Formats: sequence, structure tokens, C-alpha cells
Amino acid sequence: MKKLSMICVLLIIATITANAEKLTDNLNYNVRLGYNLGGTAPIGIPSSIRGMDSYDPGWNLSYGFDVQKDIRGPWGVMTGIHLENKGMEVDARVKNYHMEMVQGGQRLEGYFTGNNVVNVEEWLLTVPIMATYHVGGNVKLKLGPYISYAMSHKFYGHAYNGYLREGTPTGDRINLGNTEEQRGSYDFSDDMRRLQFGIDVGADWYFSKRWGAYADLSWGLTGIHKSDFKTIEQTLYPIFGTVGLTYKLK
Amino acid sequence: MQSSKLIWVIILLCGCLSSCFKEEPLNAECDIESVWVHTDNPDDFFFNRTDTIINVPYSKSEITFYVKRNSDITHMAPMFKITEGATIEPANGSLQDFSRGPVTYKVTSQDKQWNRVYNVAFQERSRTVTDTLKFDFDNYELDKEYGKFYVWYDKNEDGKTTYLWATGNPGFRYAYSTMKDPDRYPTTPIAEGIDGASVKLETRSTGAFGVINNKRIAAGNLFYGFFDTKYVLTETMKSTNFGHPFDKTPIKFEGYYRYKSGDKYQDKNGNEIPGKKDQGSIYSVMYRNHDNAGNEVMLHGDDVLTNPHIVAVARMVDVTGTEDWTKFELDFKYFDNIDETLLNNYGYNLAIVFSSSYEGDHFEGAVGSTLLIDKVRLICKKTE
Repeated sequence: MKKLSMICVLLIIATITANAEKLTDNLNYNVRLGYNLGGTAPIGIPSSIRGMDSYDPGWNLSYGFDVQKDIRGPWGVMTGIHLENKGMEVDARVKNYHMEMVQGGQRLEGYFTGNNVVNVEEWLLTVPIMATYHVGGNVKLKLGPYISYAMSHKFYGHAYNGYLREGTPTGDRINLGNTEEQRGSYDFSDDMRRLQFGIDVGADWYFSKRWGAYADLSWGLTGIHKSDFKTIEQTLYPIFGTVGLTYKLK
Repeated sequence: MQSSKLIWVIILLCGCLSSCFKEEPLNAECDIESVWVHTDNPDDFFFNRTDTIINVPYSKSEITFYVKRNSDITHMAPMFKITEGATIEPANGSLQDFSRGPVTYKVTSQDKQWNRVYNVAFQERSRTVTDTLKFDFDNYELDKEYGKFYVWYDKNEDGKTTYLWATGNPGFRYAYSTMKDPDRYPTTPIAEGIDGASVKLETRSTGAFGVINNKRIAAGNLFYGFFDTKYVLTETMKSTNFGHPFDKTPIKFEGYYRYKSGDKYQDKNGNEIPGKKDQGSIYSVMYRNHDNAGNEVMLHGDDVLTNPHIVAVARMVDVTGTEDWTKFELDFKYFDNIDETLLNNYGYNLAIVFSSSYEGDHFEGAVGSTLLIDKVRLICKKTE
């Protein structure tokens, strides 16, 4: 992962220096405000996750400032800084799902069958570095990597309306109910990674001289937890779509 | 252009979130949920019709049918209800000879990855010979499964080991996984007693899990019965099953105790109630173990002193501070006559309960409240 971060840092520096040559030429500045909708999920959902009873995307806003420069023909580059929130709440039905309840150093680990609520909240500072391509007079496609730094991160939830088999599916059985007193809670906020990478693909469409709409898909290539975190067997990746408005400053 | 892009985003997201759910995995559990035997004349074998079926707690792998003396147990065919899809060996309903001891059954899960081994026994219920039952609590060991907390056992008159005393220690283990020291569980043995070892019951804090689940304390308890861990989080009162079948008429309940109240009495939410002193619990209850319709009756935390099937109670009213070992002597107060036939057919259960916090079943009490118990005697009506 360290290698990857080095490459990204180098890429940023390369982009900045490349642009520095004719810094004032053909630079477009724009600000954007969007809504992030998505989730953190394993790629290839394991069979132990049986279904989703509810999904709350939450109010995830993305504020951005981008600089775009046309380089040759339809091609250009874009970078910027986005302050964004990626979160969700999912209530999933699981069967024999390996999990651990953790509170204040006390642990209870085993296989849970029932409902599992997961809450994720992250505030991120994201720098995308994208190639841009003008397909028409007012539509620009974007593709490139992004790097994010999580300024705050929360991952918590509870298991309810089911039972836990302690240790293995043959272990002691503990029933879980649906009140705060009867469910199993966990909080893995401290096990989350701060630096994240991924791929961003999207399009900007200007419907007036200064106003435009945009849609992006950012696909996380790093899991939201640290790599040595094994309590949740599947790595959870942040995958979010963004739709919003953009305003051209110059 | 824009709209087609949006559609792609939506398709991709929906794809991730919904269509990837795979087929349901096969069951991994392999429990015997219940066992029953069918005989043409159940009354020849069993004291009660309900003794022909046993609902097996998940934590148990020893299953015992109690039968009358001289029952022919050479051709019994127990039927099992096991986890869906699991298989059992020897076959469900196959004829077995239980006269040579317990028969071992192996249950394999539907996904074939897991198995559990059970021992099923048919045992004669032995008559209580002595008129005074003695409980000195000198026999204890670490629990066999986890080796984390103490359990107590007795030696029967015929030399067999019986585990008739239970504690809430298994529940405390869930709350306090980091507790490595068996002597810091709520119920522990201590060396200095009236003679030999005694039992120490101490109300303990249940830590972070206790706070989040609003079950902040665990009173030390010791009772004649069975603790079912399945209910520790949900219907907590149901986890304490008070009582075992008993075939004598108890008259007196006595023993020795010492008590010290903890400093701060706290309510369920952990708030201190200034000036309130904790107390212990010492009582014994005799009750009919079947209702009029023939259903089994078991007393739990919520009705151990109020259930209408109770026929007699010996209860100490104020278990408060005593520096030195103090003797308690309690007479059984009868609300109903003992039916001798029913008594001989094990139609009554006897429960004995000790606790370091009298409202510990509601998670109220003072951390540090300590009750020591030793040399308990149950004096029964003499039979010829």
C-alpha cells in the first residue's frame, strides 16, 4: 500500500509541475456541490449475507474545487480538492456470518444468524487526478485515480433478532433481541484506514455558459479497514456515485 | 450523454447491492434440539409423561432420561429433532441397548463441516435415603468446556457425581471475556469455611458490555437448578431454572453465612441510590413440577417466590451484615399439603437459592456485596 501512495504522490507532483509550465494558459476553474450515494460493500457478496432489509444512503455531500486544463485537441487534465462525506446505514439479513461484538476491550466472537445493522460515516478530503475528454461542445468525460484522506471515520453497528453461536457453529448459543438491552453491539471505528485510493469515472455537462451538472462514480480500491483487521472476513470497499451541480468560475 | 451515464451509475450500484446475493449456504449447525421415546406403557418406565421428551439446551451434550427402577432399557429407540438438514449416527429412531451405559450419537451438519457428539443415557432415579441432605461445597472444579470458572458437584449416595448446583458464572464469562482469573468471577470457592471450603458469592461489575446492554452488575449466585446461557441477553430471568425433582418433605433449611454489603447501591441505570444498603438472598422453595394439564412447571427468576405451584417456602427475611459466621435456621412454611403419591413419583421440585444481591436479578445492587455460604442442611420428614 505504501508503494501505491508513493506513486500517487509522484503523480500529483508530476501533474502540478506539468501544469506549472503554462500555469495561466487555458485554465478552467469550477466549484461543485454533489450528493454521494453508495455504500461500503464486499466485492462479490458472500453467501452468508442473505439480503438487505433496509438501506439508508444518508446525507452525503461533496463540495469540490477543480482546475481543468486543455492540453491537446479534446484531451485535458483535471485535478482539485473535494471535501466529501461517504456514509450509509444498511440492515442486512445474515446466516452464519462470522462477527465479533466488541465493547471496551471485551469481545464475543462467533457465527451470527439474524439481522445486522452497519453504520458507516466518513469525512474525506479527496484529490482526484483525471484525464478529461471533450466529446461535444458541452460534455466532458473524466477518468483517473483519486486519493482520499479520512479526517473522521466511524464504523459501528449491532446484531439483533437472531442468535450467536460462540466461536464455532457448534458453540454455545446466545439469543439476541431487538432492544438496546438485548442486542450485540460493536464499534470498529478505530480499525479504519485513513488513506484511501480508488478510480473515479464521470462526466460534466454544461447546460449553460457557467452552470453544469455532473455525475461521477468513485470505486474504492482500498478497503475501509486497515489490512490487519480480520474480524470482518470480507474487505469492504467504498463504492459511491455522485450527482450534482458545477459552476464555472473561469 | 448525461442521462446514459447516470443510468450506468445506477445499474452498477444496484448490481453491487442486490443482484450479487448468492444462494443460501447449507446449515452449519448440528444440534439435537429435542429427544423423545415412545413406549406403549410410558407409566411403566417414567414417573411423568413429560419425562418421555427432553428439550436439550444448546450448551448440553449429556442427555439423561430418568426412569423407574428395574425398567427394561435394553430396547429403546430414541427419536431426535436435529438441526434442519443435519444427519445423525446411529440412525434416528434406531433400537439401542441402554442397559450397558450411555449411547453416543454423532450429529453432522448439513454442510458436513461441523459435528457434535452427544451421550444419551437412561438412568434410574435413585431414592433419597437420608433424612438430612448435606451440602458442604467442598467439591468444585473448573468448568470442563472453557476452564474459566468454577462449578460445584456432589457425590451421590451411590457414588455417582451429580452437577445439581448452578451459578451465573457462565453468563459472566460472556460479558467479561478478558477475565482470566476464575477467582474473580461472581461465584468462587474459598478455602476458609466453617469446615473445609465455602462458597463466596460476590456482586461484580459486568464492564463495558454490561453498560451497553444495561446489565451493569452480576450478583454472585448459587442455586439448585440449571443455568441456560441462551437467554443471558434477552429474557435474562429465564436463564435461571430453579429446582430439581425431589422425593422428600423438607422441614428445615439451615446453614452458615457471612454477609457484607458493598459500598454503593446502584439502580439498573448505574445511578447510586444514597443510603440504600444491599442484602443477600437465602431461601428454599418446594413446588409442584407439573400443572393440572400435565405441563412441566419450572421456576425462573421472575416467579421463584410467587408461582402458584409453590407449596412451601423457607426464606430468610433480612440477610444483612454479619462479621462472623452466623447460623441460619429456617422452617418451611407450607401453603398446601404434600401429596405423598405425587412426592414418590417425583412430582415436586426443590429449589435452593443464594445470592449476594437480593435485587441482582434486576441488575440492581452494590458491587462488592459478599455472601459466604457453608454447611447447608436440608432436614426432611423422617420416612420409616
